[in-house]
Amino acid sequence: MPGVILAVDDSASMRQMVRYTLENAGYEVVQANDGVEALDYAKGSGVDLVLTDVNMPNMDGITLCKELRGLSHYKGVPILMLTTESASDTKSRGKQAGATGWIVKPFNPEQLLATIAKVL
Amino acid sequence: MLAETSSSPAPTAAISKPADWSPEQETALLLDLCEAQMEAAMRDSDQSVDMLVRAFTDLVEASRAMSEMASKMPPAHDGMTAGELNRRAEMVSKQINDAIVAFQFYDKLTQRLGHVRHSLTTLALFVCNRTQTQQRDHWHKLLTSLRRLYRTQEERVVFDLVAEGATADAVRAAVSHDENKHSEASSVELF
Repeated sequence: MPGVILAVDDSASMRQMVRYTLENAGYEVVQANDGVEALDYAKGSGVDLVLTDVNMPNMDGITLCKELRGLSHYKGVPILMLTTESASDTKSRGKQAGATGWIVKPFNPEQLLATIAKVL
Repeated sequence: MLAETSSSPAPTAAISKPADWSPEQETALLLDLCEAQMEAAMRDSDQSVDMLVRAFTDLVEASRAMSEMASKMPPAHDGMTAGELNRRAEMVSKQINDAIVAFQFYDKLTQRLGHVRHSLTTLALFVCNRTQTQQRDHWHKLLTSLRRLYRTQEERVVFDLVAEGATADAVRAAVSHDENKHSEASSVELF
């Protein structure tokens, strides 16, 4: 049963691509421009999964991940990082912040959906 | 009189240099020019890509609606079977997936050009400080800080090759090889 996914990216075109892919698979998508906007939403609402970019203005994805893990209702929610970054040190920071997984852009829609299904 | 009419005037820059003129300032100016040209080009292409994404989204919506209609159609309708329509809808869906991957390369390009712009600005500031440019360790620090900027694998391949003194041809060959290796999207790692 598809659920609600919070998709966070500062690129409007990326948000569109993610939204189309997820909605086409039956998920409900909530979008945010950056970490601050996503955290504001998360404080008031729960979702089934968070899919976030890493490099964003105002608050980056790794900081967002740490902040979300500090919220009681997000402790068990899968958080996937979707980013162009592939450096092992940055991945390691993401893992320490509590990320569930790391997907390097460009994503393949079928592969993204399979990964989401695996962690949900 | 004769001397005045036969001699051509020297270029203005050669006659008088402003008091604050320096080769470093000229270098910085040219680097800033490169950065400004890239910014202008990116702004123009951003607008076009936004339009393209909107058009793509509309096409996707139309395709989705057609697929739904096809799934509700009786087995035969005006000579075209529902099965045939569904088959074509599946082909469109596959092409949409390919387009989604292709669109993301623009996002990646924008990020990479953003890193290059930042490098140009940093270098323009650096070369204006003669104390810094005269010391090798300051160049090393600059290189280290710029390397941190390049966070994708493709960027690091280029950076490291150039930093190690590879020729332009060697860099091109390595990049081409790397592109072939990574043309398939994407890598996934679960922690």
